[in-house]
Amino acid sequence: MRPGRRVSIAAACLLAGVLAGCATPPPPSHPEARAEFYQTNDPLEPTNRVLYKVNNGLDEAVLRPAAVAYKDAVPSPVRTGVHNVLGNLTTPVTLANNMLEGKSRRAGNTFMRFVINTTLGGLGLVDVASKLGYPPNSADFGETMAIWGVPEGPYLFLPLLGPSDPRDALGTGVDMTGDPFGWVGQGTAVTVLRWSRFGLTALDERSRVLGEISGIKRTALDPYATFRSLYRQHRKAQIEKIRADHRHTIPAWFPAPTTTH
Amino acid sequence: MHARRMFLSSAAALLTGLAGLARPTAARANTSTAEATRFINATGQALVGVINGPGSSQAKSAALARIVDSHVDVDGIAKFCLGRFWRLATQAERQQYEELFHRVLLLNVTAKIGEYHGVSFTVGRAVARDEGVMVATTVNRPGQAPAEVDWLVKPVGGDPKIIDVVAEGTSLRVTQRSDYASFMTHHNDSVSALITALRSQVARAG
Repeated sequence: MRPGRRVSIAAACLLAGVLAGCATPPPPSHPEARAEFYQTNDPLEPTNRVLYKVNNGLDEAVLRPAAVAYKDAVPSPVRTGVHNVLGNLTTPVTLANNMLEGKSRRAGNTFMRFVINTTLGGLGLVDVASKLGYPPNSADFGETMAIWGVPEGPYLFLPLLGPSDPRDALGTGVDMTGDPFGWVGQGTAVTVLRWSRFGLTALDERSRVLGEISGIKRTALDPYATFRSLYRQHRKAQIEKIRADHRHTIPAWFPAPTTTH
Repeated sequence: MHARRMFLSSAAALLTGLAGLARPTAARANTSTAEATRFINATGQALVGVINGPGSSQAKSAALARIVDSHVDVDGIAKFCLGRFWRLATQAERQQYEELFHRVLLLNVTAKIGEYHGVSFTVGRAVARDEGVMVATTVNRPGQAPAEVDWLVKPVGGDPKIIDVVAEGTSLRVTQRSDYASFMTHHNDSVSALITALRSQVARAG
């Protein structure tokens, strides 16, 4: 383990000490258990577990029943339309991150998606762009920072937002404040629209993973640890996918690269 | 005595090495990418055939269990999932654990039959890795976004076997190992606590 990481863990512990305390590493007489502890990199585990419990309670009481009702009451084509509109609203943030990551083909796809789906797709209701060869891609500021070389830091479980880490928590904040739809307009109507978007996004996302989440809770012996592992692996895979994407879109006016051997 | 044992073991190593030269296919550390692709294609066809085919869910479960037993290195995955606790476990605990792991795995696979009705798949690239060959597939389910599922294939006992499944970047065995490790860490590093928990999981599923 790098010394920097140990320092950041210590700093995080100091922060969480106020809340519920830290996990204590196993003694040096148990080197394997100790290695596992540092590899798990969840020094705030006691605090995180409390927050997981609270979130899980809220989910069982409010979000899951709401998502089930949403899925039962609203026909599938309408839900797809809602999902598409919400997805289209996130494209400006995705585009900014595509560019910050230096991934021109992804940025081009995102740009074309916004133009095509907002116009031909009726304000994003129908995903015409995918059929025309512009597939969606994931890009957020947490991923962008990862591409820039910012380490993920220890695991965090955030109230309402769920699994995260300092890099993704900061990324989420930057994406929210950077969202141009958050800048425009004011007044009651805009506030209502903004909260509707927030509520619908929660319903849409939760209703799409109903089976998966209850399956994990049913089969895992320690759901908290399972969600932690899944989150980390999934983020890592997304970041690797972006990193490995070397396709570039070269503008027509740009001199073609000459290959000399 | 010590020197003799050393001589015997080096002679054994030499002999195995020679045997490897004589039978290059059997001693090969890895499956070829083409072989792994063929294997995953055939296994996938068999799975899809059962899931979408006729028959009661009981008959389907039995057929899936047969495919899992012959195509998946269940014991190897079980050992991997126990991680550092494998060495802490007694011989009896290892045996009980392997048996329960097998049953839980089958329960988890068969529980998904209904969800996967109408499934189809396409096989993509196969890439050689340190541990085996990773074969990429895209799994399509009606009304669901296509999912990227990678299969890690390695020869076990001469035949190619699946040693891991990676769905959308998340590895089945790595996730399972984290689950078990965390459970045991919170139960005084006790393998028998894990065995009890797995037993009640099997009992709950009926």
